[in-house]
Amino acid sequence: MPRLTVLVKGEFDRLNKYNLFSANFVVLLFWVLLSWFLEGEVLRTFLPVIFLMDSVMMTVLLVGATLFYEKKEHTINSIMISPVTENEYLLSKIIVNVLNSMITVLFISVAVYIIKGVTYNYLVLVPAVMIVTVVHTLIGIRFSYSAKDFTSLLVNFIVYAFLFLMPSVFAALGIISAEVARYLILLPPEASSILISAGFQDVELMKILFGYGYLAVLALLIYRYAVKPKFNEYLMKETGV
Amino acid sequence: MIKVKDLHFKYPRNESNTINGIDFEIKEGEIFGFLGPSGAGKSTTQKILMKLLREYKGEIEYRGKPLASYGDEFYQDIGVSFEMPISFSKLTALENLEFFKNLYKNTVDVEPLLKQVGLWDDRDKKAGEYSKGMKIRLNFVRALLNDPKFLCLDEPTNGIDPANARIMKDMIRDFRNKGGTVFLTSHIMSDMDELCDRVAFIADGKLREMDSPRNLKIKYGKRSVKVEYRENGELLTQEFSMAEIKTPVFCDLLRDKEIETLHSGETTLEEIFIKVTGVALRA
Repeated sequence: MPRLTVLVKGEFDRLNKYNLFSANFVVLLFWVLLSWFLEGEVLRTFLPVIFLMDSVMMTVLLVGATLFYEKKEHTINSIMISPVTENEYLLSKIIVNVLNSMITVLFISVAVYIIKGVTYNYLVLVPAVMIVTVVHTLIGIRFSYSAKDFTSLLVNFIVYAFLFLMPSVFAALGIISAEVARYLILLPPEASSILISAGFQDVELMKILFGYGYLAVLALLIYRYAVKPKFNEYLMKETGV
Repeated sequence: MIKVKDLHFKYPRNESNTINGIDFEIKEGEIFGFLGPSGAGKSTTQKILMKLLREYKGEIEYRGKPLASYGDEFYQDIGVSFEMPISFSKLTALENLEFFKNLYKNTVDVEPLLKQVGLWDDRDKKAGEYSKGMKIRLNFVRALLNDPKFLCLDEPTNGIDPANARIMKDMIRDFRNKGGTVFLTSHIMSDMDELCDRVAFIADGKLREMDSPRNLKIKYGKRSVKVEYRENGELLTQEFSMAEIKTPVFCDLLRDKEIETLHSGETTLEEIFIKVTGVALRA
């Protein structure tokens, strides 16, 4: 079995055994329950928020929790003295989170179709959720490596959410005016929000293209200049004295 | 198998070097030990040899090629047992081993290894429910999973009861006897004395002495014989140098007195370490 497959499978097994899947599932049920009480346009406005929250917030928390356990149990040492490369290790985290986001898309989509008969453009939504999850997995990894514990990871994320995510959520809910919202596209969560909302409403093609280009470049830059150096520093700290 | 020349290493946040220009060679098929107190640089050296710490200065060769030139294939060859317990606590011992096993090309059957270290009956127990000693034994099995040629062991018997420590020491010797090479770091002098073909004393990041335990004892040890005997109901002691045991005084004593004990005055590795480095091992 290729090593990347082993890492991904192992990560899924652990998400299950450490009850992180269960926690994620409870959140999904909560979203479905909320959807139950919403109707028509309100529901269509709310659905992109669910996918945005899942691919941003849940992704950061999920990757943070898995890295927290790896740190606590020193298992990263054991992985890094195997033939696994840094790239394979980090890529496995990204793949697992993307697959997890896909599970969310599938679950919510089937649920809202069954309970409300609502459909949307899945072909536009799926790639949007994928790229948003990739970027936020990397952001989550970066946060985890500079956090002392899970609490400080949460604090990092709350700061990030207030600075970058809340304006996007406000824009998605129409609290921020469209004029101001135009400039929010430079915030990663807003670019994410635009790409995800394209699955539910018409969005200018230029905005979509910019969003994909921007998030792709951002992912590469975060990986190269924020995650990899911090990973090496983290590894030295973990294995050193 | 491994040649280290003028190795220096400094952790980014430390002011001074942890390793200060050390040279040594680990020959194929030997157990080579690093003996030193905590913080002396033992584990750091081991982590450099495992390619976990890469920003070192100096030369390291593995099988005639620079260590840095090796890619992931290097890890197919080596097995590592860390001092601290390393396992996914919510996975069973067998699930832990299965996960790591799948990362290697060559692997061994874990059943005989688990049986040898006494964990087979607890193989389906979660690693988090294991005692510290059991976790360390699991670490050791994990180190042997990929049928390594070179084994790095950091304090392999620390926290293990004497009976299991004996089993692990026998397994380490077996590994060596089958042609494997072992780099062992420990502050437990008796393990080093018992297992190592050669030991190096490390203190403050510098190697102070390197030889076989036997040679070190001959070089630094007090070579004498102590005799305890009874005379007129009183217990007396007399010590003779090796030169003196051929003299009539010693022979007469053995012949004429009621000897109770006869001890060679062998110096322990720990005493020699302190003598050579001026540092206590358990510092």
